[in-house]
Amino acid sequence: MKEEIALSARAISKYFHEPETFQVLKDISFDVKKGEFLSMIGKSGSGKSTLLYLLSTMDTDYTGEITINGECLTGRTQNQLAAFRNAHIGFVFQFHYLLPEFTALDNVMLPALKLGKKSQEEIREDAYSNLKMLGLEAQAMKQSNKLSGGQQQRVAIARALINQPAVIMGDEPTGNLDSKNTDIVFDIFRQLAAERGQTIIAVTHDDEFAQKSDRILELGDGRLLN
Amino acid sequence: MSRVTNLKISRAHLTSRVKQTMVAILSVTFGISMYIFMNGFMTGVNDTQTELAFSTLAHIHIYNDLPEDNTNLLQKKYGEDKLVNLRNAKVIQYTEGIKNSAKIIAAIEDHPAITGITPQVNVNVFFRNGATKLNGVLSGIDVKQESALFGTEDYITHGSWKSLEDRGDGVVLGAGLAEKLSLTLDDNVTVITADGVSRNFKVIGIIKTTIGGVDNTKGYVRISSARQLISKNQGYVTDIQVNIKNFNEAAKVADQLTPKVDYKVETWNESNGQLQAGNDLRNIIAVAVSLTILLVAGFGIFNIMNMTVNEKIKEIAILKAMGFDGTDIIQIFLVQSVIIGVIGGIVGIIFGYLVSFVVSYIPFRVATLDTLPMVYDPQDYILAFIFGLITTFVAGYLPAKKAANVDPVEIIRG
Repeated sequence: MKEEIALSARAISKYFHEPETFQVLKDISFDVKKGEFLSMIGKSGSGKSTLLYLLSTMDTDYTGEITINGECLTGRTQNQLAAFRNAHIGFVFQFHYLLPEFTALDNVMLPALKLGKKSQEEIREDAYSNLKMLGLEAQAMKQSNKLSGGQQQRVAIARALINQPAVIMGDEPTGNLDSKNTDIVFDIFRQLAAERGQTIIAVTHDDEFAQKSDRILELGDGRLLN
Repeated sequence: MSRVTNLKISRAHLTSRVKQTMVAILSVTFGISMYIFMNGFMTGVNDTQTELAFSTLAHIHIYNDLPEDNTNLLQKKYGEDKLVNLRNAKVIQYTEGIKNSAKIIAAIEDHPAITGITPQVNVNVFFRNGATKLNGVLSGIDVKQESALFGTEDYITHGSWKSLEDRGDGVVLGAGLAEKLSLTLDDNVTVITADGVSRNFKVIGIIKTTIGGVDNTKGYVRISSARQLISKNQGYVTDIQVNIKNFNEAAKVADQLTPKVDYKVETWNESNGQLQAGNDLRNIIAVAVSLTILLVAGFGIFNIMNMTVNEKIKEIAILKAMGFDGTDIIQIFLVQSVIIGVIGGIVGIIFGYLVSFVVSYIPFRVATLDTLPMVYDPQDYILAFIFGLITTFVAGYLPAKKAANVDPVEIIRG
């Protein structure tokens, strides 16, 4: 049972100190199972994005304990966390944040090149097959700033998948897309969770998107509502 | 592998804003080429100055130094605790000049650093032509060796230096002296010593060194003629002039010669402090100006790299989110400024050489010069390159450090 837990948060609290001290997250605990597709919803200011960035290990200013893949990440150094993110977490943001000078393929390859576990040839193969899976094989050699918004977002997803992370985190991954592209991205997530057993945690405003996911966590005033 | 990736990102940054990169490279190029040019020029000026000075000045000068203070020699003998009263003291005859020059020359000529030695008999005299009488110095010299040391022959404007060797009654006069005495080639001039001996010489050459002290006061005769004039025997000299391989080592060589010689051994910079001071000051100016230019170039790079970091801040954030750590980010941005430094340095070296080359052909007809002096010292080129690299490294490191400290959450959440 235990090895099926992909991510667990225990008693997470966080304060903002500016302009005045304010508790954003209040004693939040939950587990996410491996292969689960989780949506986090809540009103603006409910703390859902803040929680996601804590889970992502990029924000380390909190109390409580976060464990991903059985590894406790609380209290590690920035460089250790960077290496962990590189190997185990994939990100998809509202904006794609691709490197505009690089081709789609190069962008997808970046995290794997950083990880350095495979040869450049193998990484190129992997990146190409990821793009193919997302229907972008024709765009592989195009410079990323020449692609359409939906294509760019899909390249960003391909990039998030390249190191086969245990957890994929999305911050409004479809927030900037039309309904057609939203559906495409949702289907990809669905497929990843179901076929590859990758855990997906997405913050979203889109209720329809959330309803179709496996589980919904709703936050309000820094607490879990369900 | 991640290093290759970082380099690839650096290259993408540099090539995506060619104009800014070019400006940064140009500023380094300018700084480095100015460093090279300024130093080459200043060294050229210094060398010319020194060369001019050495047209009459030897690197090491050996002479009989008179006692500095001989007003009360007895006091020194008896010490401070005894009172000595000496009235109307007079100096009795003591040895002037160097009696046995051959022995001294033999003692020092084996020294490996010495390139030339010439004996001189310098006499304070009056030069007279009719009613005009001028104070000056008559130098009795060894014709060949004098010219070998000082290149005196090259400064002859009229007549011939070599004919001094054949004519015991010949004199070569400084141009200013000859003019004041209204003398031209083949005229006669009377030389009167302090002891009242007078002798006629024939002007067989006019010399112009552009050094006032020489041109306005000096006359050259054969050394034997000078000895004859003051009734001294063969072997008597007043000065022995020594040249060595590297004039900057004069002090070292002088120290080695001192024990072998009973007389005063003086280096050129001891007797001509202003020359050394002038050289040093010019070098300081050259270095100060060129380093200032490099510093300004450094600010330019700092500015451009800072702009790049601000421009790419989202990319930095996403790279950090994907697991690139601080070291990677520093590497990505530092490599850019180092590339700018290396390219700017290489172009700067070439450009600096070209500027120096062109300037060295600008006409400048003063003293012995035809064009502006210029020296091409490889050390200047290497130093310029190193300074350029250091500047770009420091100027690039600060923005890179700033990039490494970017908080990805802050940037991505907006």
